[in-house]
Amino acid sequence: MKEKLESMLASANEAMENATDEAMLQEIRVSYLGKKGQLTSIMKEMGGLSNEERPIVGAIANKVKDQVSQTFDKQLKAIKSNVMASRLVNEKIDVTLPGRIKAQGTKHPVTLVTEELIEIFSSLGFCVAEGPEVEQDFYNFEALNIPKDHPARDMQDTFYINEDVVLRTHTSPVQIRSMLKQEPPLRIIAPGTVYRRDSDITHSPMFHQIEGFMVDENITFGDLKGVLTTFIHECFGKKVGVRFRPSFFPFTEPSAEVDIQCVICGGKGCRVCGNSGWLEILGSGMIDPEVLKSVEYDSDKYSGFAFGMGLERIAMLKFGVNDLRLFFENDVRFLRQF
Amino acid sequence: MIVTYNWLKEFVDFDLDADQLSHQLTMAGLEVDFMEKLGANLDSVIVAKLDSVEPHPEADRLTLCQVNTGSDVIPVVCGATNHKTGDLIALAQVGSILPGDFKIKKSKIRGAVSQGMLCSEKELGLAEEADGILILPQELQLGLPVFDALGLKDVRYEIGLTPNRADCLSVAGVAREVGAFVQNKIQLPTSGKISEGEVAIEAKTSVEIEDASGCPRYMARLIEGVKVAPSPAWLVQRLESIGMRSINNVVDVTNYVLMELGHPLHAFDFNLLRGTKIVVKRAEEGCEFTTLDKQSRQLKSTDIVICDNEGPIALAGVMGGENSEVQDTTVDILLESAYFDPTSVRRTSKRLGIHTEASHRFERGADIDIVSIALNRAISLIQELAGGTVAAGYIDNYPQALFKREVSITSARTNALLGLNLSLSEIEQLLNSIELNTKRSDIDGQEALVATIPMSRHDLEREVDLIEEVARLNGYDNIPVTMPISRVVRQTKNQSQSTTRSLRDGMVAQGFSEIINYSFTSPTAWDKIDLCEDDARRTTIKVLNPLTEEQSIMRTSLVPAMLETVARNLSYRSTDLSLFELRPIFTVKDSDVQPEESMRMCAAITGKREVEGWSQSDAEVDYYDLKGSIETVCQHLAIPTLSAKLDALQPYLHPGKSCRLYHGKTLLGVMGEVHPQVQENYDIDQPVYLVELDVAALQSTKKNVTAFKPISRFPDCYRDSAFLFDEEVSAQQVFDVLSKVKVKNLDDVTLFDMYSGKGVPEGKKSLAIRVRYRSMDKTFTDDEINVMHAKIVKSLQKNLGAEIR
Repeated sequence: MKEKLESMLASANEAMENATDEAMLQEIRVSYLGKKGQLTSIMKEMGGLSNEERPIVGAIANKVKDQVSQTFDKQLKAIKSNVMASRLVNEKIDVTLPGRIKAQGTKHPVTLVTEELIEIFSSLGFCVAEGPEVEQDFYNFEALNIPKDHPARDMQDTFYINEDVVLRTHTSPVQIRSMLKQEPPLRIIAPGTVYRRDSDITHSPMFHQIEGFMVDENITFGDLKGVLTTFIHECFGKKVGVRFRPSFFPFTEPSAEVDIQCVICGGKGCRVCGNSGWLEILGSGMIDPEVLKSVEYDSDKYSGFAFGMGLERIAMLKFGVNDLRLFFENDVRFLRQF
Repeated sequence: MIVTYNWLKEFVDFDLDADQLSHQLTMAGLEVDFMEKLGANLDSVIVAKLDSVEPHPEADRLTLCQVNTGSDVIPVVCGATNHKTGDLIALAQVGSILPGDFKIKKSKIRGAVSQGMLCSEKELGLAEEADGILILPQELQLGLPVFDALGLKDVRYEIGLTPNRADCLSVAGVAREVGAFVQNKIQLPTSGKISEGEVAIEAKTSVEIEDASGCPRYMARLIEGVKVAPSPAWLVQRLESIGMRSINNVVDVTNYVLMELGHPLHAFDFNLLRGTKIVVKRAEEGCEFTTLDKQSRQLKSTDIVICDNEGPIALAGVMGGENSEVQDTTVDILLESAYFDPTSVRRTSKRLGIHTEASHRFERGADIDIVSIALNRAISLIQELAGGTVAAGYIDNYPQALFKREVSITSARTNALLGLNLSLSEIEQLLNSIELNTKRSDIDGQEALVATIPMSRHDLEREVDLIEEVARLNGYDNIPVTMPISRVVRQTKNQSQSTTRSLRDGMVAQGFSEIINYSFTSPTAWDKIDLCEDDARRTTIKVLNPLTEEQSIMRTSLVPAMLETVARNLSYRSTDLSLFELRPIFTVKDSDVQPEESMRMCAAITGKREVEGWSQSDAEVDYYDLKGSIETVCQHLAIPTLSAKLDALQPYLHPGKSCRLYHGKTLLGVMGEVHPQVQENYDIDQPVYLVELDVAALQSTKKNVTAFKPISRFPDCYRDSAFLFDEEVSAQQVFDVLSKVKVKNLDDVTLFDMYSGKGVPEGKKSLAIRVRYRSMDKTFTDDEINVMHAKIVKSLQKNLGAEIR
């Protein structure tokens, strides 16, 4: 019997090793180890063995069974891995074909710049205020110390609705409205649409500005420089040069125009900066005592600074847009770039 | 204002190169807009002598010249005719680049070698026209650059002056600023000796001021027997260096003094005056007057005029009259130097649309103290250049002397506003550097300075104006950069701002691109979208002075501009569009002077649904794409349910494919396919779907917080049913019925199929719904679901006549 078992093991091993697929392998396993398999029929002879021989042959039979099973497992694994390998070889796509693009929406570049500026100034504790675009003369001019015969009030430059109502020419009236509404301390930015009676390559009758101002006790010109320098470094990078130079606005005194080092040529001088190496980006100054007086703030107690800038200008510099008119033509070939 | 480097040097000594001067001027608040180096890069154009001039053997009109540079003799072919052997000329050597990017190269002209060019004044940028080449004075040294030899090297600065700095509308004024930053005193030009005749001016003429508020001071001098002639070269060049054309010696002198000292003068031909007396008064209302530019002007009684016996001879401070103009034949000149009231001059010049160098200065405020200096400077120059005899003495009619303002300043306030730490004497020094005389004083126990303001500084009225001067003169660069110390400001979250922002973010997430159109539009826009005659949107705010008719009213709807934008993009072959605009509209409010400004969101889609690609469908968008986007965005805004109603359709939308959108009873807006007629009005040849929403309405329905709904630990159960409905039954009706069914565990209903056609009876349609049942505490059995579902089926059968398929 022992010989029979051993020869069965040898033939089972050989058969399994020659099996080519899982079904064949299973068939072989059943033919040796199944209920009607060879092992069962050999074991039927156990009855003819002596009591001494029976446990010995039984042990051999168990061992043969284990070994056949092991061979089976090993072969099954080998066959499965072959199957997987050949499947993977056959399943192939061109991974370089373009993906299915979903149409992406875009914000207008002026919106992008507005949001960025709001974020920067919010981090400095400024909050956003808004005001009407069709504005009263009082808020747009008079309270801002712009006298009746000032050239800015000319029909040539300002759109009028009637004698006392204009399309606001700047976002500064929000300054007046905010100050009339609350007492200092105030830290406000006011982005918005403004209008000037001008239309050519570099002027649009409608454009956007952001106004900012701060009023409290002991606010100095040094603070104005600090806040605006921080803003410029956040917006244009820490390395960009900034300079403040004297200027004039009716609603600030002292007034300063703020230039940044030309972002195109890095200050060497180019066509964009008119060879000066500097680009004017905002107007600013300490709020004029006349303005504080018009909103009934005590100018002996409070001081403040204000600034304003054109958002299209910032967008042009940031994105390298060379034509103002692109912002209002709404050509999707332009808009989809942002 | 234009000044030059050399001219400034005449008034103040400084040790700055051209670029440093430009920088310092800009940083002092006199922004240099443009700097031009005259004769720069022209060092290779040198003085040379013509050793010989021979005719070119091959060309009649050319000459062969041997040109001596002092170190070499070179051949040059020249086409001019005004030169001869021995002349000194300007030789542009090979390699020179003349104005206009004209490179001089070695060449062969009709077989003759030419190693340079003999230049004309025009070619050197010295004159606009030239007749032949420039022949130089004999005394010049050979080999020197021509611009150096002629002393023409200079730098021109164009300064963009702010309107408050009228005191810098002269070379002397700018020099005063330079003097301040180089800490040097300026030297004003002195008038040369005036040789006076025997007869006193009073014997020949007189001046009467009738309106002293319009003309506080009027001075005049008389010079007789002058010879009007071309100006000498130095004067011509000076004027040209700042871009002025020479006219004749008398006019040029008045212009020269105007630029030098900033004071406008006017010369009358004395013999053309009717009578001898000058009267300064208000014009007669409606009187006609012809100014120098030969324009006839109608005057008003607010205009100040200079009159002789019979009427006006000049518009004070604005322009002279044709009737008394200095001409080539003029021999006797009455020279006016006066001070006119800024407001009167501004009013007259603005009304008549005359802007002159004189009016520019008077309306910003001239210097009443320089009136006599300018007059004497000009008279002495006229006498020097045109001869003549000056009548003895002068007329100075100054009825009520104006006093200089005094303004005080303390170091405490200066330092508090600027963030500096200057002592009173440092402040004093700075103010003295621009010729503000100061004295010490005491204000409320604080040591202060009282500054006397020169009559040229109309802008210095208050302490803060002086503080600005201190900041400017001390240098903005020297103010330390600090961060403010301020109390925290309470911020209240602005609801409308956050709704607008969420809406914008939502639209962008849905693939829409944001556009911005002008707030003004054309009155014909409403016809183009077929609004009825009595539509409220036709009542608009009108702009009094629009640039064009197309921009003359404030828009009451974003729709017309959106359709124009779509049409424009389609014309550029951008055929697949998803656009939105989020801007205010302006509606008339009777109770207020200002209109109501309310935010609207308008969006449009057209073209293909998917981006073009190898495996994407090329189906076109339709109504439901837009509706789906809006529903998604509303969900994003926590407005979960929208209902569509067919009431009050818009004339610009397709009546069968449009609706009004509500949340509950709140009207949110309108949407639909653009009416084929309106589409045609805009030359659009593909369907466009459009929505316009009222942002305030969205905000009012939007929930601020989305409440959490617990999720069940048990699996959801679904039941699908298909129903036949009459064709007319709308999906909205189905949803309305389902929302009223009282089944506790009904969680959601999805309409997942709609079908009509083969297999469905005529006049019917099939709608298939999937109902989700959910319980928090168990898994439903089939029987339980059947009971619930039967209720739903029954309700559709009962209310809408549905038949289960």
